[in-house]
Order: sequence, then structure tokens, then C-alpha cells
Amino acid sequence: MKSSGFRVNNAELWGGAIWFAVSLFVLEQGRRLGLGTVNAPGMGFMMFWLGIVMAGLSLGVAAQSIRSEGPSIRALWAGTRWVKTLIVIVAFVLYAYAFTQLGFLLSTIPLMLVLLRAIDPVRWVIALPLAFGAPLLIWWVLERVLQIQLPTGVFEIG
Amino acid sequence: MDLAAQVANGFAVALTPINLLYCFIGVFIGTLVGVLPGIGPISAMSLLLPVTLSGTPESGIIMMAGIYYGSMYGGSTTSILVNIPGEATSVVTCLDGHQMAKQGRAGPALGMAAFASFIAGTASVVGLMVIAPYLARFAVAFGPAEMFSLMILGLVIVTFLTQGSMLKSLLMASAGVVLGLIGLDSITAQPRLTFGRIELYDGIGLVPVVMGLFGVAEVLTNIEQGIKRTVSTTKISNLLPSSEDWQRSRGPIRRGTALGFFLGIIPGGGAVIAAFASYALEKRISKTPEQFGKGAIEGVAGPEAANNAAAGGAFIPLLTLGIPPNVVMALLLGAFVIHNIQPGPLLMVQRPDLFWGVITSMYIGNVMLLVLNLPLIGMWVQLLRLPYNILFPMILLFTVIGVFASSNNIFDLYVMIAFGIIGYLTRKLGYEAAPLVLAFVLGAIMENKLRTALIISAGDLTTFVTKPISAICLGIAAIMLLMPLIPFLRRKREQVAIEDGQN
Repeated sequence: MKSSGFRVNNAELWGGAIWFAVSLFVLEQGRRLGLGTVNAPGMGFMMFWLGIVMAGLSLGVAAQSIRSEGPSIRALWAGTRWVKTLIVIVAFVLYAYAFTQLGFLLSTIPLMLVLLRAIDPVRWVIALPLAFGAPLLIWWVLERVLQIQLPTGVFEIG
Repeated sequence: MDLAAQVANGFAVALTPINLLYCFIGVFIGTLVGVLPGIGPISAMSLLLPVTLSGTPESGIIMMAGIYYGSMYGGSTTSILVNIPGEATSVVTCLDGHQMAKQGRAGPALGMAAFASFIAGTASVVGLMVIAPYLARFAVAFGPAEMFSLMILGLVIVTFLTQGSMLKSLLMASAGVVLGLIGLDSITAQPRLTFGRIELYDGIGLVPVVMGLFGVAEVLTNIEQGIKRTVSTTKISNLLPSSEDWQRSRGPIRRGTALGFFLGIIPGGGAVIAAFASYALEKRISKTPEQFGKGAIEGVAGPEAANNAAAGGAFIPLLTLGIPPNVVMALLLGAFVIHNIQPGPLLMVQRPDLFWGVITSMYIGNVMLLVLNLPLIGMWVQLLRLPYNILFPMILLFTVIGVFASSNNIFDLYVMIAFGIIGYLTRKLGYEAAPLVLAFVLGAIMENKLRTALIISAGDLTTFVTKPISAICLGIAAIMLLMPLIPFLRRKREQVAIEDGQN
């Protein structure tokens, strides 16, 4: 799936472009914070110069991607189980939201069940005790032994 | 106080029951994560960083150090028995260690790996004790210009040794420095890049960044590839190497220890490159190089000694200069900072109990590791049978708990998830996370030293090249940056490029 020359779907080219945008952001933030002078450098002095260095490097990456071979964006995920990865990411984002809303126990147990059953399914006989047991054990250690308070959520469970 | 008195003081600290317990927990977890592929000392240390808060600084740092050198021991077990390196440092051990196992000599291979690790680990602690005080006195002479240049050199070495494109590594390092600058400015105390979020005034936390980039990203990558492991049923008998094995291994252990120790001291160097260098050296000077890769015990003894000696050597720049030479040491620096302790030349004067307590605990830790790795080898082999579909939800659960417990702040959970996704995507595009993390830790210190050096020199930029130590550091860094431009040297770099700290 590799080919040389300019291609719009060249992943490396997009990588370079994203980095270039980031470097412009850094450069602008540095300028806004104030460069100061060489004998009294301001808050944005290092950031501004780093932005310039990053811009140069990202252009280098983009140039290299045009000159030499680079995989297409599709090729990066070809033959992989990217849906499973996506499930974990989505589950994790929802979990972070539910963490404070529902509390540690009510959010962690469903997360564990999803992770144990939706990716490479673990048998229920193992998944259920693990999904309930591990969060409960951790909750007990943190709350009771280490005295670290975990969120209890709107239902105040835990 | 002379050295003997200092060491005695250190043992008094390290031998207290609570510190012995923390040392044991550290080396036990170190061995555990070393044995298990997919989780390494970086993830484990990030997870346990918050735990260090619950005890004294000595206890926490003794435990963290134990995880690091403990993982060096554990990594060899999987290399020898299942031909999968538990750690990047044990990649070389696969070559001859697994061949020995296939020939029915798994016992002597495991035994020699443990003994070589013990000898080198202990020798490196002696080296650390002898060299650290002298270097600490010398380090007082380091001004802001020298410190800045040394940190630049460390970052350049890490980018040089990281696998793949150097441009990409440099980009990651630059991004790491920028991330390290988020929060209150160290000179004016004004907020930078905080976007009105109070959570960012103290900067982004090291724990969520590392957990995201290494823990979560590693899991996402493994899930995508669908990791499946098969465990060898190799029978393990007679762990003690024969006298002939010892005779063949004596030289490699000696050379591996010396080489590993000095490579460990160099910022950006470390255990992985030490193991590779030792293997290359032994093969080159061997009278029977054709036996390497076919079960030569020298190929196990040398690299295992080298990676353990390097783990000891890596403490020197951190304890004497306050500069972490690799990502693992950056995490250890985080543990010091959590307790409001700044490692550096004054550490052994201001906190001799901590300085010597940590160093002497490594003697004790090495003895514990020998016990853990020889009689209990069967238990570690059983652990290899734990399937990944059970392991990864537990890893994710621990990352969540680790991050939340470190700050009690839900914001850090979002930071971790964001960095997990960033880490996963950057891996896809061939960007390594190690330079970013090291630069992230050094970022604010580097900026402070740069600005201080310029203020002191009244804006004279030549201050960085007129001071000899600074000039040497920058000179070496410049050479390393230019090396990939020369095709022959680029190929050489690609040969030695490593994936340090990834596992």
C-alpha cells in the first residue's frame, strides 16, 4: 500500500500538516505571552522559538513524506481490529463522564463488563466475578485502607 | 562523615521494617511487570506514583527504584521461556536464552540471568556509592548554562536513540517541552496556556500524561492487533549453572557490568542500548562467535549484567545533577517532587538519610530479587498463562485509579484519555512517546535555566559556548543532530535505534 510522490491521503503528509498547525499555535501563543529581550527573556520567549523549530521540523516531515514512501491513512488501519479500539475509547470517554455522575462503583462495574465481554469475550463465569470483585476490592482498599475518597455520584453509593 | 559512616546510616534507614516492606513490594511488582509482556516499569511506576504519598519519601522512592531494577530481572524470564521479551531490555536475551531453553537448558539460562543480574546490580550500587559523592561535588559547579546544555544533550541523545525518524522524535521532544511549560511561569508566576482552567495552573500532571501515553495507548494498540500468547511447556530443572557455564560467563559479566554502568550514566543512554552493546561486544571478542544465537551462555550473561548495571548507573545523573537520564528516572524525579524534594548536588548534604537510604536499599533489593527469581520461578511462569483479555481491563482499571488517586481530580482522567488517544495515533504514525515524556519533565527546568543564564550573562548568547562543559554538551548534541544527514551514519543510527522505555 506504499507509493512515492504527492498523494492527498498520505498519512505522513497529514501528520506533518497537523504538526505545522500545532507549531503555528505555539508560535502565536509565545508571541502573545511576550518575548521580552535577550537579556530579559519574557514568558513567551522559549515558546516562540520552539514554535519556529517545530514549524521547521513539521515542514521537514511533510517534505519527507512527499519525497519518499508513506502509507495511506487507510493502510494504517487495514487488517486491524480498529472497531474494538474505538469501542474501548468510547467506553472510556463515557466512563469519565459517568465517574462523577454515578460514582466510582456504579460507573466502574459496567465499564469492566464492557471491557471483559465486548473485546475478546471472557466467559461470564469469570467476567461477572471480576467485573464486580475488582472494583469492590479497589474501592475497599482506597476508601477504607488508604482513606482516599472516591466519587459517590448522585445516588451516593460507595 | 566518611563513606563508611554514610553507608551505615543508609543501611539504618533501609533496614527499618517499613522500608524493607516497601522495598519488597517494589522488587516484587518490578519482577511481575518484567515478566508480563505489555506492561512495563513505566506503567507500573506511574500507577504507584500516588501510593508514594501515603508513606515517607524514603519508603516511596525505595519502592519506585525497586520496581525499576526489579523489572530488569523479570524481563529475562519471558525472553528465555517464551521467546517474548518481557521488557525492551531483554530483547537480546531471547537470542541465546530461548535457544538454551529449547536445548533443555532453561534452568541454567534462568539461573545465569538471575546471578548475572545480581552481580551486576550489586556492583553498580557500589559504583553509584563511590562515584555519586564525587560527581555531586563537581555538579555544584554547574551553572544555569551548563544545566541547560546538559538537558539539551540528554534530549538529543534520546531522540537519536529512538526508533524511526529523528525529525519525528525531535517534534515529539519539542511538543513535550511546550507541554511542560503549561502552568504558572517559574519566574513571573503568571499563568501560561491555561485557557482559564484552574486545574492547569499547576501544569499538566505527569501521572495522567504517562499513563495515557504508555498505559492506555499500549492497551489500545494491543487490542487492535489482538495479542495472543502461547506459553511454552519447557521443563525447568537445575537452576544452578555448571562450573563450565560460570567459566564462560565470568568475562561477559565483568565487561557487561562495566559497559552497562557507564552507558547508564549517559543521559539518553540506558539499559536497552547497554544490553545490545554488551551482546555485540561479546560476539566480537568471542573465539566462537558462530555459537551466538544458538544457545551461547555468554549471550545471556553479558546483556543481563549490562542492563542491570545500567539501571544502577542511571541513578547517578538524577541523584547528583537532578537530571533524569531516561523516562523511568523522570518518573522517579516526579516521586521526589511530590515530596517537595529536589534531587541534585545538595541532596546528599540536605537529605543524607534519603540519599544513602535509597542507595543501600538497592543492595537489599538485589538480594530479594535473587530469592524471588530463583526458587519462585514456577510462580512467574504460571503468571505468563494469564490471558490478555483478562489482563487489559485490569490494567485500564489500575490506570484510572492511579490517575484519580494521584490528584483526586476528574480533570486528570480526561487528560489521561486524551493522551491515550494521542499516544495511540502517534504510534500509528511512527512517533515515539519517550522523547515527549522526558522533554515534558525537563521543559520547565530547561526554560528556567535558559532564561536565568541569559539574565546572568546580560543577554550574551555566547555564554553557552564559552563555558567548557556547556560547549562540550552542545557540541556533542550538534554532532548527533547532524549524523542522520550522512547516509552511512544514518544507517548506523538505524541499527542502534531502540525503543527505550516503551515496554
